[in-house]
Amino acid sequence: MPPRVSCGRRERDDEMTTETPPRATPKGTHRSADDPNVLLQDDYDFYEPIPPYPPRTEREAEFYTLGDGEMFLNMGPQHPSTHGVLRVVLKLDGERVVDIDPVLGYLHRGVEKLIENADYHQTISQVDPLEYISSLFCEWAPVTAYEKLLDVEVPRRAEYIRVLSGELNRIASHALFMGWFALDLGGLTPILWSFIERDEIVEMLAALTGQRMLFNYFRIGGVNGDLNHEFMSRLGDWMSRAVSQIESNISLLNENEIFTRRASGLGVVDTETALRYCMTGSNLRATGVPFDLRRTHPYSIYPELEFDIPTRTEGDCLARYLLRMEEIKQSLRIIDQCLDKMPDGPIMAKLPRLLRPRPGRAWSAVEGPRGVYGAYAISDGTDQPFRLKIHDPSFIHLQAVGALLPGHLLADTMAIMASLDPVMGGVDK
Amino acid sequence: MDRALARRLEARFESVLRGPARQRHDQTEIRIAAGDVQDVLRTLHDEPALNFQMLADLAGVDTGTEMQVVYHLWSATSADWLRVIVEGLSRDDPRIPSVTFLWQGAEWMERETYDMFGIIFEGNRDLRRIYMPPDYTSFPLRKDFYLADDAARSPGAGVRHMERTRGPVDAAPGVLRQTRA
Repeated sequence: MPPRVSCGRRERDDEMTTETPPRATPKGTHRSADDPNVLLQDDYDFYEPIPPYPPRTEREAEFYTLGDGEMFLNMGPQHPSTHGVLRVVLKLDGERVVDIDPVLGYLHRGVEKLIENADYHQTISQVDPLEYISSLFCEWAPVTAYEKLLDVEVPRRAEYIRVLSGELNRIASHALFMGWFALDLGGLTPILWSFIERDEIVEMLAALTGQRMLFNYFRIGGVNGDLNHEFMSRLGDWMSRAVSQIESNISLLNENEIFTRRASGLGVVDTETALRYCMTGSNLRATGVPFDLRRTHPYSIYPELEFDIPTRTEGDCLARYLLRMEEIKQSLRIIDQCLDKMPDGPIMAKLPRLLRPRPGRAWSAVEGPRGVYGAYAISDGTDQPFRLKIHDPSFIHLQAVGALLPGHLLADTMAIMASLDPVMGGVDK
Repeated sequence: MDRALARRLEARFESVLRGPARQRHDQTEIRIAAGDVQDVLRTLHDEPALNFQMLADLAGVDTGTEMQVVYHLWSATSADWLRVIVEGLSRDDPRIPSVTFLWQGAEWMERETYDMFGIIFEGNRDLRRIYMPPDYTSFPLRKDFYLADDAARSPGAGVRHMERTRGPVDAAPGVLRQTRA
């Protein structure tokens, strides 16, 4: 039948009565919604769950073969609660998750390659956006690795400032975690409350570092600027009410029966599995292992400070949440002691502008809010790092989601993922 | 520095170590060949006296002449980080046994190393690209992969030291940039 050209009013009756022969749509095309006589080429659909190429590995072949009654569901990459740009292909049986296949790389910048082609100092600004919730820890690891390469001693005041700003950043990160976690479980209020705390802290860190998010503050051999009046007055102001404010924020969720009953028993992980999946940080401590680098492998001035390493044994989402809230209180204790003991002195070690460490290798790790941040630096004697490997805990914890999720309901996917607290900037590097 | 750990490792792995254990700051370093990876790491993981149950990191390194895979391990039995360097992988066909039988979490780290260096981890059942798209054909962290705006090959190369990338221009003909580390 030739395509009909109609102008103005459509002759509806005529169209209804016209008998259209059954038409087969050739493969790779579809009919236009406006005019069924027009064949349109199918676009290559990137978000089709099944990849348009043969499986590359045994595991991929296994995952993309559907069993009886199973179906695929694509989540992301623009899903609001994936904490970044992450695509997860879920294999579902009814409402139960059978298996997942996270697809990464949407935020990949090739930061390790960029660092190899940059100066030692430029590394700091390159690694900042990896961990955009708690940038200071992502700076801390490579900076200390370079200091080991250079055999440089950091002034004590600089170490105190590092710990002080780092612990503030940890609180900001955990506060945001609380909000996110509740948001992913369906509660809107906590994130509004937690942003009050977070905003206070990023504002005071902005007074100290000049930036709200990507601080670019630590330097090889010290920090970029000394404590200033605005930072100290904001900090003093906030510290005077921080404990009560955080307590009230926490009670908002801790005393909410819907929240606690929903989160307990969800995504349980035992110690052995956690170690097999290389998990660190609060996620490991929630299984009962008191592994915190600040105590197990003390660095900076942490040996001089008094604080506890809270652990829990349940290993479920609620345990991970409660543990982080406990860590906020410990961080407040550390900040108190830092302010109390803050020594005078220089904030930078004496170093030449152009750094040429002797050839060698150094590994350094710090305990961040999400786990162990590591940096493995190799120097070949030039002013550029030969190699810098960045170890980000988010990457490891996102992998563990695949182990925790099977058997849970689809609605729990985001809750479990949020309780492990990955940040996609760090996952994709 | 944990001198006792170095002595223990040297005594335990005498036959497979390539050179003595090196120590600097809070790190102890041993070097082994690709064939011994599974045995050495299993011993480090399982033996109660060593008990290195935590794999902190797995990194690939392209030294310009060979490939290396570097493991960082943590154990409560020592105050040091243990670095196991697997050296001597050929750049043309780097192959190494996987350690996913000990740490399931190494699977993604090995995928990342494969994606960036092309190192094949035999025994990893999901060794596909993780960051780069599936139709990508290069291995970006290899030393013979240059950035698009590589200043070393631009007409203004060498004008300022900060803009110069290290590449074959600095090395002898036919040799890539190497590390002495």
